[in-house]
Amino acid sequence: MGPLGRETWAQRLGTFRASPSAFMAGPEGEDLGRDLLSDLRSEKLSEPMKVALLALCLEYPAQLWPDAPAAEAAATSLLDTLVLLPPRPSALRRPLLLAATTALAAGGALSPASGASRRLLPLLLGLASGRDLGRSFGPASEQRPLQATAWECLRELESCRPGLLGGCLGLLRALLGREGPVQPLSLLLALALRNALVIQARAGAGLQGLLTAGDSSMEGGPWNWTLAEEGDVHLQPQAPSWPAAEEGECGLAALELSPEEARELRATVAQLLDASYLLTPVAQAQLLWLLGWALRGLRGQPPVLFKPQLVRLLGTAQLTLLHAMLALKAAFGEALFTAQDEALLLRRLTLAAQHPALPLPTHLFYLHCLLNFPENWPLGPTGEEAAPLLLGSQLCRGLLPSLLHEPMALLARLHLLCLLCMEEEEKEEKGQDQSPRHYLEELLAGLRQRAALDSGPRALATLCFQASYLVAHCLAGQPVVLTPLTQGLAQLYRTRPALAPHFVDLLDRVGPELQEPLRVALRQEVVSRPGREEALRWHLLMLARVADGDAQSATLNFLWAAATHCTDWGLQQALLRVCRALLRAGVREGLVDLLQALARQLEDPDGQDHARLYYILLAHLAGPKLGVALGPSLAAPALASSLVAENQGFAAALMVQEAPAPVRLSVGPRRAEGPVPVLQLQVEVLEPVYSLELRFRVEKQLYAPLRAVHVPCLCPGRPTRPLLLPLQPRRPAPARLAVRALYSTPSGLTCHAHLPPLLVTFADLFLPFPQPPEGAQLDFFEELWDSCLPKGAESRLWCPLGPEGLEALVSRHLEPFVVVAQPSVSYLVAIRLPPDSRLLLRLEAPQADGVPVALRTDDWAVLPLAGDYLRGLSAAG
Amino acid sequence: MAQRAVWLISHEPGTPLCGIVKFSRRYPTVEKRAKVFNGTSYVPVPEDGPFLKALLFELRLLDDEKDFLESRDSCSHINKTSIYGLPVGSEELWPVVAFLKNGMIYACVPLVEQTLSPRPPLISISGISQGFELLFGVQDFLSSGQKNDSELNTKLSQLSDLLLQTCPFGTLLDANLQNSLDNINFASVTHPQKQPAWKTGTYKGKPQVSISITEKVNSMQYDKQEIADTWQVVGVVTCKCDLEGSMPNVTISLSLPTNGSPLQDILVHPCVTSLDSAILTSSSIDAMDDSAFSGPYKFPLTPPLESFNLCYYTSQVPVPPILGFYQVKEEEVQLKIAVNLKLHESVKNSFEFCEAHIPFYNRGPITHVEYKASFGQLEVFREKSLLVWIIGQKFPKSMEISLSGTVTFGAKNHEKQPFDQICIGGTAYLKLHFRILDYTLTGCYVDQHSVQVFASGKPKISTHRKLISSDYYIWNSKAPAPVTYGSLLL
Repeated sequence: MGPLGRETWAQRLGTFRASPSAFMAGPEGEDLGRDLLSDLRSEKLSEPMKVALLALCLEYPAQLWPDAPAAEAAATSLLDTLVLLPPRPSALRRPLLLAATTALAAGGALSPASGASRRLLPLLLGLASGRDLGRSFGPASEQRPLQATAWECLRELESCRPGLLGGCLGLLRALLGREGPVQPLSLLLALALRNALVIQARAGAGLQGLLTAGDSSMEGGPWNWTLAEEGDVHLQPQAPSWPAAEEGECGLAALELSPEEARELRATVAQLLDASYLLTPVAQAQLLWLLGWALRGLRGQPPVLFKPQLVRLLGTAQLTLLHAMLALKAAFGEALFTAQDEALLLRRLTLAAQHPALPLPTHLFYLHCLLNFPENWPLGPTGEEAAPLLLGSQLCRGLLPSLLHEPMALLARLHLLCLLCMEEEEKEEKGQDQSPRHYLEELLAGLRQRAALDSGPRALATLCFQASYLVAHCLAGQPVVLTPLTQGLAQLYRTRPALAPHFVDLLDRVGPELQEPLRVALRQEVVSRPGREEALRWHLLMLARVADGDAQSATLNFLWAAATHCTDWGLQQALLRVCRALLRAGVREGLVDLLQALARQLEDPDGQDHARLYYILLAHLAGPKLGVALGPSLAAPALASSLVAENQGFAAALMVQEAPAPVRLSVGPRRAEGPVPVLQLQVEVLEPVYSLELRFRVEKQLYAPLRAVHVPCLCPGRPTRPLLLPLQPRRPAPARLAVRALYSTPSGLTCHAHLPPLLVTFADLFLPFPQPPEGAQLDFFEELWDSCLPKGAESRLWCPLGPEGLEALVSRHLEPFVVVAQPSVSYLVAIRLPPDSRLLLRLEAPQADGVPVALRTDDWAVLPLAGDYLRGLSAAG
Repeated sequence: MAQRAVWLISHEPGTPLCGIVKFSRRYPTVEKRAKVFNGTSYVPVPEDGPFLKALLFELRLLDDEKDFLESRDSCSHINKTSIYGLPVGSEELWPVVAFLKNGMIYACVPLVEQTLSPRPPLISISGISQGFELLFGVQDFLSSGQKNDSELNTKLSQLSDLLLQTCPFGTLLDANLQNSLDNINFASVTHPQKQPAWKTGTYKGKPQVSISITEKVNSMQYDKQEIADTWQVVGVVTCKCDLEGSMPNVTISLSLPTNGSPLQDILVHPCVTSLDSAILTSSSIDAMDDSAFSGPYKFPLTPPLESFNLCYYTSQVPVPPILGFYQVKEEEVQLKIAVNLKLHESVKNSFEFCEAHIPFYNRGPITHVEYKASFGQLEVFREKSLLVWIIGQKFPKSMEISLSGTVTFGAKNHEKQPFDQICIGGTAYLKLHFRILDYTLTGCYVDQHSVQVFASGKPKISTHRKLISSDYYIWNSKAPAPVTYGSLLL
C-alpha cells in the first residue's frame, strides 16, 4: 500500500488515541505499526505530521510492536530513518532518537545480541560526549539539543537496564569536570553510580576502578555489558532509602571498598553536590534522592557531604527539594541531622504545611509528611500516622482545622487535632474553652449544622460523616468525646432524616464504642416519631438498621402507625425490611400480629407475600434457624439487589444445600452374631456435623431397603462409636450400597452430600449356626451336610495356603463358624447365609501349599461365590 | 521519580461526561519499570476514557450527586491528600496525583519503585513530589498570560512539544515549561560550561533590576468578647534581573523601618545561594517577642533570566489596617444591617480603590433597599443578592465611616441565588476589597542603594510596592461565625 495522505493519518491517529485497544482490535490495527514506520520516510508527509507519528511511537510502542522482535525491527527502522535524513535542520532527529530508545527499552529488546542496541548505544554516547561521529550528524545548530537528548536517552536506558552505563562511569566523571551540560551529566552519573554500587554490592565486589577509568573506557571497542548482565536480575526498588521498608533490603553494607575507591567515590559525590546548584530544582531533588540511595548503608561514606546543601535547601519553598531532604533524613537519621537540625526541619515543614503562599495540594502533602515524619528516635509503632514528638501543640496551632477549610484540608487537619486530643487526654486538663477537645466539639457541631442544610450538596453531608468517623476512629477510648458526638448525630438525624443512608454507613463502619450508643440513640429518635411523616421511608431505612430486641413495644407501635401510611411498594418493602430485622433479632411477641395484619392489609401482592412469608417463617422456624434464614445471604453476591439477595438468602437457608462430603465411612471388623448380618461402620468427620442422617440404598435390590442411621453430633478429633447397619439380604450375595448424608452445619444450614459407595462382601453376610449341645457337634454337622443334597450343590476345590498354615487361616477367617475342629486333620465349618441358605465346608488335612476343601450348599447360586471366597482367603492374609 | 502518564482534563459540568481529556501523555518505558517494580500489585494505566470517568467520580465532579453512593460517600472513604486510588475494572490504580484548578484537572501517575501491597507511605515515593511539580509547572504555563479559550488552545497545542523537552521519558527535567519554550527558540545559543540548567541563555542589553513587593492582608473580624480578631500579612517579592554574563551575582536586601513588623515564615527561590540562619528560623509559630529578627534580610542570588518570586513571607502587624463591625438583625421579611469601618491612622490613606462587598446568601433576590451611608455610594445587585459599598480613594478626616439600612428579599430561587455553606441562619459577612499603591503594611522596602550587583555595567534599579486585601472578612457579630483555633486562644 502506498503512503497514506495527511488527512487519512490525522483521522487514523485521532481514532487510535480515542481508544488504542479498540483501534488495534479493528481492521486497521495490524498494519498500523508497519505503515507508520514506512510513512516516516515518505516525502509526501509533512514534518509536523511525522512528528505526530513519532509521538505515537513514543507513547504506544507496546501496542504497535507487541513483542521483542517487532520492537527490534522497529528500532532498526527508526535508526535507518534517522541516518537517511538529509543534512538540513529537521524537527525529526530528536523524536527519532527518543522513539528508537523507547522501542528498545519498552519492547524488551535491549541486549548485547540486538543489532539495534549495538547501533544505538555508541551513537548516543558519541552524540552525548560531543565526539565527532565520522559523518556530519545534522547541522551544527542541532548539536546542543541532540546532545541533551542523547544524555536523556542514555539515562532512560540505564534506568530500564541498571548497569548498562557502569562501564562509562569514568568517562562521565571526566566529562562532568570538563564540558558538556551539567544537568544531564550529573543525573546520569548519579544514577549509574547508584546502580553500579548496588550491583557490585550484590556481587560482593568493589568498584574495580570504574570511577577512575577515564574517558578512554568506552572508546572504540564493543559495549561493556558486564554490569548490566549482573544487574538484570531485577530492577532495584527504592525502598532501601526509607527505614520503614528497609528490613533485609539494603545490601550496600556488603560492599567492600578499598581506601582508594572510597576516596574516589567521595570525590565524585562531592563533585556532583558542588555543582548541584546549577541544576533545576526538580533535578537537584532527583540528584539528592539518587545519592542518598547510593550512599545509604555504605561503610566509610559519611553523609556529612550533604550538609553544605541543606541550609540552602531548607530555605526554599520547593516541594521536591523539601521532600528530598526528608528522604535524606530518613536515609541517614542522626548521622546527618542532629536533634537541633531535626527540630529546625520539623519547624520548616510545619510552616510550609500552612504557608499562605503555597497551594493546597502542597499543604496537604506536607501535612502527610508531618504525620509520617522520619524521626531520629521514633517512639510509636512504625507505619502508623502519628504526630512527631517535637511537634507540640504550640507548633500545631496554625494547623488545626476550621470550617473555612476545603474538605481534604479539614480532614487532614482534623486528624492532627484528634492526635492532639489524644495527647491532651494524657496531660492534665486545661481551661475548658481552650482545650483542643472543646474546639473539636465546636467544629463537629459546625459540620453537622452544615450537613443539616436541606439544600446543601451531598458533599457537605459526606464531610460531616467522614469527620465523625475519623474522630470515632482516633478517639474511640474517650467517652467524653463520643457522648456529645452521639448526641449531636442523633440531633442531626432529627433535623434531616434524609441522611439516613449516611447514618447506616457510619454505623456499619465505626467501632462498638460509637456504634452501640449511636444505634440506641437513633432508634430512640425514630420510634418516638409519629410514623406518618414525609420522611417515613428514611425512618424505616434507619429502623431496619438499628432495631433490635430492645424497646419492642415502642418499635412495634411505630410500625403499626407507619403501616397505614405505607401506600406504595417502596414503603411497604421498607416496612417489611424492619419486620425482617426484628425477626432476626428474635422479636416474636407482637410481631406475629403485625405480620398477620400486614399480610391482609397491604395492597401490593408482593408486600402481602413477603408479610405472609415472614409470618410463616416466624411461626414455623425455631429461633436460631430463623436467624440463619434471615441472615446475610451466603449465596448471593454482595451487589445483587436486596430482594434478589433476600430470596437467595432464603433459598440458602431453607433449602438443602449440596455440599462436599464432610464424613468418611468405612466398614469395620465383622461381628458374625445375631439374627441378621450387621455392618459395623467407622465414621470420620472433617468438620463438626450435627443431626447427621446417613441414608443407604442397595443397588439391584439384593437386600431389603435399609434403615437410615442417625447421629446427633460428630466432631473432628472426638472418638466415635461405630455405627451398626443391619442388613436384610434377599439373596446371599455381595452388594454395593449407595450412601447419602444429610446434616446441619454449625452455621445452621442443612446440607446434603453423596458419599463414596460402600461394598458389602460375601463374607460380611456370614452368620454362625446356633451352637449344638456338647458332644453332638459332629452329628449336627453331618445332618446339615446330608440335607444339602439333592436340592443343592456339591464341589471340591483347592484352597491355597500361605506360609502361616491352616490353623491361622481358620482362626482369622472362619473361627466363629467352626463346628468341629481337629487341627491338622480336619475342620468342619457351617455357615448360615441369610435369608435361608447354608454353606458347609470340610477342610481336610493340609498339604504342602494348600488344603483340599469339600463344600456343600443348599443354594447352587452360592457355589461360585464360595469358590471365589475360598480361593481368595490366603491372599487376604 | 518518574511519571507513568500525565493528563489534562477540562471539567465541563453539564455535559454528558462532565469533562474532556485535553491532553494526555504516556511513558511506556516507565510503565515497563512499573510492571517489574510493582510485581503482582501492578495495575496498568487505563485508556483515557475509563481514566476520565474514574477520576471525575473520585473527585466528586460528576453531576449526579443525588443518591448516596457507598464507593464515593462512605464515611471511611477519606482522602487527606490530593493523591487518589482510582477503581479501574476490579483493581485500583494508585497513586494518582490530581487536583482541580480553574476548571482544569491536572493529573499524573507517579512510578512507585516497589510493590504496592502493602501500600508504601506517600512520603517514601519520590515520584509524588516530582509529579506535583510537573503538574504545577503545566498549570503555571497554562495560566501565565492566558486570557481566553483560543490562547489556552494554543498553549495546549504547545504542550506536547514542551513535554518532549522537559519530560521526554517521564522524568521531569525542569518544571519551568516557559523556560523550555524559550529554549526552543534559543537553540543556537552556545552554552559555556557552568551554565545553569535553569538559565536558558544570556541577556544582552541595558542592565536593569526590577524588584516589587506585594503584600496581601487577610483578616477575620468578629467584634466579639470571646473571639479574638485575626489578621496576617503575606508578602511576595518579585524580581526581574536583566544582567549580562552567564552567572551574575546579585544581593537584594529587604529593610524595615524602625517600627516595622518583622518578616516571618520566609521561603526563598532556589536561586538564592545562601541564607542567614536568622531568616531561616524567624517563624510565626513562635510567640512574638522584641528579640525577633528585624532585618535587613539579605538574599545573595544568581538570578534566572525570567521574572521570579525571590521570596514569600508572612508578618504579624500590630493592628489590622481597617477595623470594622457588621451587625445584621432579621426583622420579619427584611434584614437590618449596620456597618462601621475605621482606617487605622498609621495606614496610608490613599487607595487605588476600596470597596465593601456585602453578600446575602441562601435567600431570594433583593427587592428593596433603604440605606444611609456616611460616606461613599452603595450599588445594589438584586439578582446576585449583593450590595457593594464603594468607599473610593480616601477615608474622610475622621477615618471612620458607617452604613446602615434595611434590605428586603423576594422568594428564594435555588437556581439563581448563591448558595453558601457557611452563611447559614444569621451567619453573614462583609468582605473588604482594597488596594494601596507604593505602600506596605509591614513597612518592608528595598533600598535601591542596598542592591548589590556583581556584573559589568551599573544597572538601573527600580522598586515597587503595593498592599492588596485578600480574604478580608468582617463577620456579623450578632450570630455565630466560623473561627480558627487561633482566635480562641487569646
